[in-house]
Amino acid sequence: MEAMQRSYKAQKVIDRMAKKLNRQIAGSLAACVHCGMCTESCHYVLANPGDPTYAPAYKADRVRKIFKRHFDWTGRVIPWWVKADSVYTDEELEELKDIAFGKCTNCRRCSLNCPMGVDFAVVNRMTRGLLVHVGIMPKGVAVVSKDQWEIGNQMGVLKEDYLDTIQWMSEELVDTLGDPGAAIPIDKNGCAVMYTINPREVKYDPRTISDAAKIFYAAEESWTMPSEGWDMTNFGLFSGDDELGGAVARRVFEKAAEIRAKCVVMSECGHGYRSTRCEGQNWAGMDVQFEMESSVVTMLRYLRDGRIKVDRSKNTLPVTYHDSCNNARSCGMFEEPRELLGLVAADFREMYPNRAENYCCTGGGGAMSMSEYTPQRLKSAKVKADQLRATGAKVVVTSCHNCVDGLTDLIRHYKLDMKVTQLVNLVADALVVEKRVAVPVPKAVPVAALAGRTILVIDDEPDVRAFLTAVLEDNGAKVVTAADGDEGLALARKEKPDLVTLDISMPGKDGGKVFEAMRRDPDLRSIRVCVITGRPELRKLIYERPVPPPEGYLDKPVSEETLLTNVRKILEVAGDQKAH
Amino acid sequence: MSGLLHFAEHRLQEAALIFMALVYTKRILWLLKFPAGKERQAPTGSRDTTKRKGILYSWAIVGMPWAMESTRTRFFTYVQFVVFHVGVTAAIALSFIIPYLPGLIENNDTLVRVFQVVIWAACAVGCMRIVRRIVDPYMRAISSPDDYFSLVLLTVWFAFAALSAPNRPDQGEGPLLAYFILTAFFLIYVPFSKISHYLYYPFTRFYFGRSMGHRGVFPIPKSVKPAFREAAAPVQAEATATTSSH
Ligand code: SF4
Ligand code: SF4
Repeated sequence: MEAMQRSYKAQKVIDRMAKKLNRQIAGSLAACVHCGMCTESCHYVLANPGDPTYAPAYKADRVRKIFKRHFDWTGRVIPWWVKADSVYTDEELEELKDIAFGKCTNCRRCSLNCPMGVDFAVVNRMTRGLLVHVGIMPKGVAVVSKDQWEIGNQMGVLKEDYLDTIQWMSEELVDTLGDPGAAIPIDKNGCAVMYTINPREVKYDPRTISDAAKIFYAAEESWTMPSEGWDMTNFGLFSGDDELGGAVARRVFEKAAEIRAKCVVMSECGHGYRSTRCEGQNWAGMDVQFEMESSVVTMLRYLRDGRIKVDRSKNTLPVTYHDSCNNARSCGMFEEPRELLGLVAADFREMYPNRAENYCCTGGGGAMSMSEYTPQRLKSAKVKADQLRATGAKVVVTSCHNCVDGLTDLIRHYKLDMKVTQLVNLVADALVVEKRVAVPVPKAVPVAALAGRTILVIDDEPDVRAFLTAVLEDNGAKVVTAADGDEGLALARKEKPDLVTLDISMPGKDGGKVFEAMRRDPDLRSIRVCVITGRPELRKLIYERPVPPPEGYLDKPVSEETLLTNVRKILEVAGDQKAH
Repeated sequence: MSGLLHFAEHRLQEAALIFMALVYTKRILWLLKFPAGKERQAPTGSRDTTKRKGILYSWAIVGMPWAMESTRTRFFTYVQFVVFHVGVTAAIALSFIIPYLPGLIENNDTLVRVFQVVIWAACAVGCMRIVRRIVDPYMRAISSPDDYFSLVLLTVWFAFAALSAPNRPDQGEGPLLAYFILTAFFLIYVPFSKISHYLYYPFTRFYFGRSMGHRGVFPIPKSVKPAFREAAAPVQAEATATTSSH
């Protein structure tokens, strides 16, 4: 077998492994006794009964065999005795990719349950890194990593879009609170807090930014947002690429040092928190002079110190809390979110199991960006769905943007009657703003906010068309609707709308084709597009097209508030001068 | 006692022990040549935990079946683990007592019985584990020839250890010879097999515990079982007065 020709990539993987093995990983690869105690810790195993290929030890053995064949003596001398084997072909590497990326979210639940201290999640991350090193990875991982390397954040948000969004949120907050002092500062030197966020907030959820700003304002905090190094997420954690991890973390650290911030506060994002707070310094090989904390801890401190006041009767729906794997199992954040929830929500119901034993949201480890594995992800999500359902809660709170997406997807898939939110939203909703401000955050966008706009709704579901039409018309827009792609294109040419809301999955011409046709048509290409879909796994039908991406993207079901926030953002922030 | 048995009990064991010690030393040096990862960041999680506490907890976790879900929910498997490993300790102890401290078990039927009960129990667990490894598709999928062989080797070794416990060569040297030859083989084979896991245990658990202690994950917090699951009614949260700032 050893005489077999080895592919260039396979050889590079072996060479790279020699460089990436550290004592912890070598120990984890050498020490497994195949006792099977970790098997049932994994949500993939529980959701796929009878299929041993999901067992953590089985998955680990796919890379362990290479380690044993090349680095461990018994495996070198009598490989078959310990199931050691090398890797020869690119096809074998592709198979390894499907395991490392498609069958494990690096949630670390099995690691915590191994009596031997085998940390499979860390081994799996190394495996991902080896594959990424030779260019073998899911498409989504390649795209996101490229964006983070080249543009500086993992969603490819341009600096001007980021600053525009902050500006927009800032103006809205000043209007709402009636105080120019509520404006969001950018690059202010010497502040106590530099607030960093997840680019998802800029793109899909700007309300979390204004909610955080409102809390900082109420606490009278000396704070700022940075113009660079604002993305505290880090795809290096998911791709196993330590170089990317170090480069991304360094951007945040260097910006904080430049503006002399005393503390970097990270918005609620599990992998961002872990990457920046717990791993970043190790990847970047640098020490920092400032503190770093999760905004959960910041908000709790404000409450403990009496810097903000809340009225928890504002949040009456039964809520439960989902521990993000990265926050909990990898960074020890267990009690702070619960204490905070207890203070801002009236009816908190613990999910079981919880804390370090909680199950993954199934969107972890970058799984949401790997659409090719969506079916097995959603299948494995049954475990989480059962856990959520058992709580009887109507709201699941999580301190992680990845979990927000993962949970939203599974809630829709398993038809649970729940919504997902974050602590920052609950705190902002419960916030009692005294003296300087009398009015709480507006629950609805002012009527006629969309006056003068024409919006084309393309969706094959009559209920969705009716809902979108009602919300948009109530806010002053002129709405035209189409039930399929061809009709939509014809109406777009006729009406020249300011915005098109576009479903992806439709009979006949699907949303992807409509979108590309619009982008390629000189008369239509400037029309803004917001994709609204109930099939996030079909995202690639839009994003993989060789045309500029849509201006917005929303998952169904979409709330009135989210719809309006995003529609307004697309129309206003993008610099459209037609109205207002 | 025949010359062969004397040789098996003494020279053979000593040679095998020296060989094992040398190979183990080499093994540890091999592991240590890999660089140890470093955690530069300030600690996270509860202020009550430290790297040191994490390491101690991590080493002790195998004696705390309540700590990990895997041992808590599969208590019978955990009991098997304990019995098996106590059996290993007893069988090893016997391999030193018979040649070097025979007076300890001579005319001490109770002690002999204790050894026999413990080792036979371990032998029974060994049989159960062999069956489980063959029958359970999950176990089969992760098992290598070494896994089967090591388990069979130990189980057979237990049987001969139990039979040898009375140390009565006058009643037949067969079991004693088999026991000591197997012990020597075992000592030579162990460093190359999964049985050497106890050599790695202190290292893997040290590094995992150090990291988890530094990050406030160890000691693992209790996964609180909500009362409403039994009572089917929602529980109100208490504002827990806790821990740390990150
Ligand atoms: S629990 Fe640990 S030692 Fe046992 S099979 Fe799993 S990884 Fe291996
Ligand atoms: S890290 Fe999580 S997803 Fe991966 S094998 Fe372990 S339990 Fe399963």
